[in-house]
Amino acid sequence: MTAPLPKRIIKETERLQTEPVPGISAQPHDDNARYFDVTVQGPDGSCYEGGVFNLELFLPDDYPMTPPRIRFLTRIYHPNIDRLGRICLDVLKNNWSPALQIRTILLSIQALLGAPNPEDPLNEAVAKQWKDNQAEAIKNAREWTKLYAQPKE
Amino acid sequence: METIAEVFTRYETVVTHKSGAQEDTDVEMEDSVLGEVLNEKIDAEGSSTERGRLLAAYILAVQGQLSLDSDTIKFDSGMTTAAERTADLTMLHDISDTALPQVDCQVCYNIMLDPVTTFCGHTLCRVCMSRVLDHSLHCPICRRVLALPPRIEEHPNNKTLVDIQNTLWPDMIKARRETVAAEEVGEQGDLNTALFVCTLGFPEQTTFLRIFEPRYRLMLRRCLEANREFGILMYNRYSEPQGDLGPVHFYQIGTMLRIIRVQVLADGTSLIETKGSERFRVKAHGLVDGYAIGNVEPIHDVNLAEEERIEAAETGLPPPTDENDVLGQIDRMPTADLLRFGQEFIRKMQGRSAGWLQQRVLDIHGQPPDDARLFPYWFASVLPISEDEKYKLLDTRTARARLKITAAWIRRIETQRCISYPALPTWVG
Repeated sequence: MTAPLPKRIIKETERLQTEPVPGISAQPHDDNARYFDVTVQGPDGSCYEGGVFNLELFLPDDYPMTPPRIRFLTRIYHPNIDRLGRICLDVLKNNWSPALQIRTILLSIQALLGAPNPEDPLNEAVAKQWKDNQAEAIKNAREWTKLYAQPKE
Repeated sequence: METIAEVFTRYETVVTHKSGAQEDTDVEMEDSVLGEVLNEKIDAEGSSTERGRLLAAYILAVQGQLSLDSDTIKFDSGMTTAAERTADLTMLHDISDTALPQVDCQVCYNIMLDPVTTFCGHTLCRVCMSRVLDHSLHCPICRRVLALPPRIEEHPNNKTLVDIQNTLWPDMIKARRETVAAEEVGEQGDLNTALFVCTLGFPEQTTFLRIFEPRYRLMLRRCLEANREFGILMYNRYSEPQGDLGPVHFYQIGTMLRIIRVQVLADGTSLIETKGSERFRVKAHGLVDGYAIGNVEPIHDVNLAEEERIEAAETGLPPPTDENDVLGQIDRMPTADLLRFGQEFIRKMQGRSAGWLQQRVLDIHGQPPDDARLFPYWFASVLPISEDEKYKLLDTRTARARLKITAAWIRRIETQRCISYPALPTWVG
């Protein structure tokens, strides 16, 4: 037996459609309104520029008391995102607050693409490369973006 | 988004010449709002004509001629004209629309119900604030540490906001209150019993629990609001099938616990003292806000006549052929002897100062009861053996069946002469 969808989730979903965030989209599944297909464009001026990244987002039963679960589906070369697409971002963990929302979280993820933080790595190898040879790391990130994150025609 | 001040400014600059303004039918609304607004003399240029009294009052306030603690204003001109009434109502409507989004709770996105304001100046519904506190001690808006009492019940509503809401949106508040009341019962159809999947409880026995998980804090709050009862079930570690329910995460037979005492600690967790009432079997189950709820049926003992019939049938059996057949011997013992057997074992163990019969254990669980129906439950509450063994007591229909189980434990302990001593009592949550 499933509980009805909370008004908060309905309103958030509506607002995501009516007032979309530039460079971000989030579409709920028809059969599960707590599960979203998400795309995030790489920020201009970053090494992910021109890339369109697919993510999956799930709102757990006790959302918004606990944060949404989010994962990259598109491969990405980033020190704070591991090979399974898991994201190291404080607001998705300890710094989550129920006043945050899907929209703000996706903006934080977009910002994370613009500002990789190798000091707090989730992907050790990438973080090491980022610290040892940043030019090379950025080149890799650009190449991966071209390889894996091209928008579908 | 337009602010309330902007609404007023807009009206201030618009000349409200509404020739032939219709006679207003909604005088009652006007009275309830404006009737209370009046005890200061208006002689400012924003006199009431045409612009309406609401705007006049606002202008007075802006000009600093309206002291903030005055709750009424007296207008010189006695009668309100139709034009004024129309102006007031139109304006009130606009203010209401403008202010509504600002009283949305930032957690549930509904109009705030019983708003509670933190010392850092942020306001949420009372139920939302409670749930936030289950998870965190920080304000969700600004992340400051929330200096609210651990039991939010002791923190008052924001009265000013409540007054404004009751004036501007009485119907919405009423509807919201009904919805929340239905939600906060934590039931879904016939799934009307809160279930705490944790450990074993026994009828008439005391169980202490520490409640720290957010979902169970919510469950506890709801139980305290309702009948102070919840069902306790043992966790099904190995996913053993549970009758029609299949391999669910709990064992299907449990005990209703009645909350006797609650102590809320500074960190928001609670210590509760409970007493077991009747046993039950889960027939159907679901999930609400992270914790289990179920439809349960009580498990009762057979009546005394039936109990005596069973006893007579079993004691009348011919003695077991194998003299080492301990269980066969137990089967044939009269119920009174089974009880005595248990009580003597306890006395013997007390004589040897067994650790599990220390005074502090007896302080919690009391002395061994003389009631044959209850003795096994007491015994299981103090005896340090595996929970799986103890669970067998719950699925019985006679005192005799339970005493046979405890007698078998004793015989096994006596032959093994070694039992484990886990820490008692168990603190769980």
